[in-house]
Amino acid sequence: MLNMNRSMLIKIFGFTGLAALFIAAPPIVSNIYWISVLILTQIYILMAASMRTILLIGHISLGHIGFMLLGAYGSALLVMKAGFPFCMALIVAGFLSGLVGLALGYPFLRVRGIYFAILTLLTSESFRLVAFNWRGMTGGAMGLMGIPSPDAISIPGLGVIDFSTTEGYYYLTLVVICLSLMVLYRLERSRLGFKWRAIREAEKLAQAVGVNVMWYKLVCFAVACFFAGIAGALFAHFQRGLSADASSIFSVLTSIYLLVYIVVGGENKFAGPIIGAFVLSMTSEFARPLEEFQPMMIGGLAIVVVMLMPGGILGFLGQIRFWWSKVLKQETRQGIKG
Amino acid sequence: MALLEIRSLTKLFGGLTAIFELDLDVHKREIVGLIGPNGAGKSTALNMIGGVYLPTNGQILLRGEDITSLSSHHRAARGIARVFQDNLLFSTFSVLENVLAGLHLRTNMGLRDILFGGHRAHHHDQVLINKSLSILESLGIASEKDELAMNLPHGKQRILSLAIALAPGPRLLLLDEPITGMNAKEVETMLAMIRALRDEKGITCIIIEHNLRAVMGLCDRIAVLNFGKKIAEGTSSEIVENPAVMEAYLGTEENVT
Repeated sequence: MLNMNRSMLIKIFGFTGLAALFIAAPPIVSNIYWISVLILTQIYILMAASMRTILLIGHISLGHIGFMLLGAYGSALLVMKAGFPFCMALIVAGFLSGLVGLALGYPFLRVRGIYFAILTLLTSESFRLVAFNWRGMTGGAMGLMGIPSPDAISIPGLGVIDFSTTEGYYYLTLVVICLSLMVLYRLERSRLGFKWRAIREAEKLAQAVGVNVMWYKLVCFAVACFFAGIAGALFAHFQRGLSADASSIFSVLTSIYLLVYIVVGGENKFAGPIIGAFVLSMTSEFARPLEEFQPMMIGGLAIVVVMLMPGGILGFLGQIRFWWSKVLKQETRQGIKG
Repeated sequence: MALLEIRSLTKLFGGLTAIFELDLDVHKREIVGLIGPNGAGKSTALNMIGGVYLPTNGQILLRGEDITSLSSHHRAARGIARVFQDNLLFSTFSVLENVLAGLHLRTNMGLRDILFGGHRAHHHDQVLINKSLSILESLGIASEKDELAMNLPHGKQRILSLAIALAPGPRLLLLDEPITGMNAKEVETMLAMIRALRDEKGITCIIIEHNLRAVMGLCDRIAVLNFGKKIAEGTSSEIVENPAVMEAYLGTEENVT
């Protein structure tokens, strides 16, 4: 314990404090509306974080929401039509999204930049249109109603946790999101993440030193889509109803918002999309009265951040820390001289 | 059996014939130069040997095995390494990280290592780090190990490219214009390094250059390309006296850099 430096201690305190805050939120907030907001925010956080994982291999996916759709409808249908229990449906929905990601990634990941973005964008819109029109499976324009919430589970010591209440579902979401973020973080910091960054940095060189670039890209994309599917399943069983019309969460606009969350929070750090999603979701909530102007505000904010703080919020904080440490050095030097 | 046999290699880009029926044998421990004026097809040939381009026609055999349609990461696994033109590096990685990346083929990528390898396991794997440091030391750039690759001067970046290529212990090294943009001293160092690689480690080299004078002393054999075709092949002294080469490439005295 004693040989940890100050910054490590600050980080540990910070995380513990944050964790405590999140765990204690429902009773503190004790307002169903705001707890729901927190649930949705967490889902957005997982979406933004998994979308950023794709950024690690140098591709921007504007179709991430399509994989959330797959997970949402997949899980709902598995529970409603095939009688799956929720926890199985959740995992299977994730794998469904992941497998589709694998299949589509094989052709898509061969192209970069704007071409990849367009391909993914069109794919997610296609998924949405299929869901919107397939009356037999997804209820078409009427949407899919009556998705049951997960069955209550009883934990010895804690009693029965009922997930049909907002509070119960909040804790379910918290656990799933935290586990997912931990896995994503681990992968990023592992040897796998190192290969991903090498591929983003210099794909031709990585290939020449023996990295099977296509394979590593596919793994990354599939993992990201898996977690998008998980986020979708959580969404479905929370909302208890899904719709895929043009103004729903599954529209193109959400994918763009996710990109903005990443940029505003800071794309260079793992916590970036988390901060960005949280801050912007909260801002949107507080700006409810101005709802029609929301796209404009988000867009404007994105432009401001890109021009003034390209590293996003976290990049900016990093800059401040750097300047502060330089100021401290100056003072020390003056102190010695003086 | 030659280490590398190139048979009738042809590459067409639409209507442009970049390489036409190239035949070349490269034997173990040879240093072969591939020279020619700009646009002669040297880089295309190297790209095909390295696996970046798929030939339109022809075959490439490595130790008798047909590797024509293998992608470059498979070729890397078979001992072919490449130093790219224009100092292609992992620019935002440190010098040490660059070599660590080059050690991919020597890195355990099992599931256990990925999920439970610990915080930035790759960077803490002492075996890999020691391997990287010894490579950097043998090339004389170990002191810059924590410097970002993009902050290195041009000559040192070239040496780093060489270090990355040497990391997996290749048998065949493809050098794409290794001495471009270097001053006289750096050129000497690089040429000596390449010679040492062959003499001490038995690595076979194929070098692309348009500076004939510089590689004349280094190469055992030289093949001259012009407009996609091989117009001459032989030792440096034979090449220099070859009239076809002189006409196509050397031209007047002023053209020899």
